[in-house]
Amino acid sequence: MLTFILKRLLLLVPILLGVATITFVLMYIVPGDPVRAIAGERYDEETLARMRTELGLDRPLVVRYVDFLGRLARFDLGRSFVTRRPVAEAIRERFPRTLILALSAMGIAVLGGVVIGALSAWGRRPALSRALMTFSLVGVSMPVFWLGLLLIYLFAIKLHVLPPSGYGGGSIKNLILPALTLSFASMATIARVTRSGFLDALGEDYVRTARAKGLGERMILGKHVLRNALIPVITIAGADFGSYLSGSVLTESVFGWPGLGRFIVQAILKRDFPVIQGAVLFMAVLFVLVNLAVDVSYGAIDPRIRSEGGG
Amino acid sequence: MIRAAIITLCISFAFAVPGCARHGDDRVLRLALQTEPTTLDPALSVDFSSGEIASLIHSNLVSFDPDARIVPDLARSWEILDGGRQYVFHLGPARFSNGRRVTAADVVYSMRRLLDPRAVSPRWWLLASLAGASAYHEGGSWNPAAASAANDSTVVVRLSRPVPHFLGLLAMPAAGIVCREEVERLGARYARSPCGSGPWKLSAWNEGDEILLAPNPGWAGRRTGLAGLSFRIIPEEMTQIAEFEVGNLDVLEVPRSELEHWRAAGTPLLWKEELRVVYIGFNTTKPPFNDPRVRQALNMAVDVDKIIAQVLFGAAKRSRGVVPPGLRQSPEPAERYRYDPDRSRALLAEAGYASGFSMEIWQRENPEALRVLESVQGYLADVGVKAKLVTREWGAFKEAIDRGTPDAFFIDWLADYPDPENFLMPLFHSSNVGGGGNRTRYRNARVDSLLDAAAACMDTARRWELYRSAEEIVYEDAPWLFLWFPQKYEVLSPRITGYRIPLIFNGQRFLDVGV
Repeated sequence: MLTFILKRLLLLVPILLGVATITFVLMYIVPGDPVRAIAGERYDEETLARMRTELGLDRPLVVRYVDFLGRLARFDLGRSFVTRRPVAEAIRERFPRTLILALSAMGIAVLGGVVIGALSAWGRRPALSRALMTFSLVGVSMPVFWLGLLLIYLFAIKLHVLPPSGYGGGSIKNLILPALTLSFASMATIARVTRSGFLDALGEDYVRTARAKGLGERMILGKHVLRNALIPVITIAGADFGSYLSGSVLTESVFGWPGLGRFIVQAILKRDFPVIQGAVLFMAVLFVLVNLAVDVSYGAIDPRIRSEGGG
Repeated sequence: MIRAAIITLCISFAFAVPGCARHGDDRVLRLALQTEPTTLDPALSVDFSSGEIASLIHSNLVSFDPDARIVPDLARSWEILDGGRQYVFHLGPARFSNGRRVTAADVVYSMRRLLDPRAVSPRWWLLASLAGASAYHEGGSWNPAAASAANDSTVVVRLSRPVPHFLGLLAMPAAGIVCREEVERLGARYARSPCGSGPWKLSAWNEGDEILLAPNPGWAGRRTGLAGLSFRIIPEEMTQIAEFEVGNLDVLEVPRSELEHWRAAGTPLLWKEELRVVYIGFNTTKPPFNDPRVRQALNMAVDVDKIIAQVLFGAAKRSRGVVPPGLRQSPEPAERYRYDPDRSRALLAEAGYASGFSMEIWQRENPEALRVLESVQGYLADVGVKAKLVTREWGAFKEAIDRGTPDAFFIDWLADYPDPENFLMPLFHSSNVGGGGNRTRYRNARVDSLLDAAAACMDTARRWELYRSAEEIVYEDAPWLFLWFPQKYEVLSPRITGYRIPLIFNGQRFLDVGV
């Protein structure tokens, strides 16, 4: 297991190098001049030229690339073109908020999805099963934006129980609606996957054996079936969590949540290269780590994978 | 297991205690911004959010009131001498938010800083008319006569040529007076921790979430009745409306698509004509748009009044000319482009395009713009012109226009200072082709000479005559498909008094607003 983890961590270096190069080249190719974005409406060529020099944009591409790699090696992500603040500082401020949102959304999605999927697989109440599956279909089809506005309308404007938007200094009340909105699509998918996982498992021999042994239904579902159904759930949760961490721009925009996603999109629109490059690299690291965690957790849940030589 | 999960969910939801309105000091005025400021350093503030907040924190020599009139700010009084080439400003008492008295030396420092090539300010052109400013900006030495402190409370400014709208330039956010030792101490971090002598000071900046301002004890002007200002950053219009409806915002800008709803509800709406003009510009160097007859024909092909009524819900005034009604001191040019598709076709035929032609109209991403342009597209099709709509995001859009790529583009122009010069000169003088504002690449020697003469003329009546003549020529030449001057609508929460929509964006300092 340990060698497995170490090997994957070492792979980070070539992955990051590849991501950095691709982002760098993309920024160069994409139309739109960062200097024009900063200069506003009225500008003369001379001011633009001076800004380019100040930001180092007039140097040859290769020089800029080497300089960029050099700074990366020192963990220096540079300064934003627009605000002149260190990129690392901006990411440090915003990422925790995206993290809280992602963790909450993931928590709701997994708990809710597994509960809904399990309940609907139970088979005692077919009507409940159908209702839950319809709910999950709606959840998957509903655009995040629309869902967010709907929830704001319902809980903030009509019922007055939650604030419509904002970070609120970290208050839980402000977290609920954005986390719920973000979690819906995942929750729906997890519910469906859990349901089929349960249905499959319930037909297996070991369940019949457990029933024959006289184990209660709850014990069967909770202890035996659940673990087997969890593998696909973890795969989905891991993939979705990775994308949540990149910042869920739509949710953050609708709820005015000051996270990383919106920040990156604004940087892209302003061609703020250092921020874009720094943020993309950061997200790449996160993605690799999350995938690693998912793979390791397979081993924790399914002994078959563990015994097959650490994966 | 399942039961435990359900119980956990219920407990977590129990945290949603009712009563969601943000409570805090009730005398804080709560406003919203769509985008976060990028900097609070006046010399670097280019976008509206930055400029608006920087103007609240820093004072200028003179500033705008909500009606865009020049009023004393740091300078209590001033004299204009030598035919407009010399200004003498007498400063009143004021302190920076760090407690130090503002002196004439601070004003000189701030002006010099704006022009300093090392500051790389995109707004250095505000003070380009100062004696020796261009040379200094190129890297030469500072001409001490440009701006000097005669004593602690007197600033003498010398211009290389008379500039009739100079006071308007001084009222712009970029000309804000900064605290020298703070700038030198903080360097680039001044953008986050500004120190000004304006009515407000920065009390907290919660990244991406909220900016809080508190009254500046050093402010020498009228005391405000408010305990502070809160600017929440809410990018989505619908979310802003939601916040207003639950009572978390005091002022809401009503999107045009929502106007009907608010009008029907009978809520009192404030409105103001913006100092902004919306138009479709033609690339006057690209055939067939180099022929004025084609441009005039296209103007007559579109029923602009109908578009305003249906797509904009009446929230605009059709433009005949370039200068918005709020600034005019003379009547608009006489109507030339009444909706007349037959005349349009005839004129196109005369120009050699009886069978029409194809063109592209470029726009930035904007749903309202799309609706407008689809209507325009329909009207143009009626006269045989096939218009293809091209959407680009803002950065690529601007760059394409600078390069002269699009045939036509849908864009607007917003005033920096309330003077017709701010419209006619950048938009139509040949020296401003490209990034300077003349996106249509329009060149007309007669217009150039009229604008040049007006730029040097200190007599207001004569200036207006010159601008009126220039505007007539431009209107006839039609480098634009003239559209409209938009109106801004706002609703207020019943708890505030004394608020007015400012004519220019940094003209409202909230000193008269009460809760």
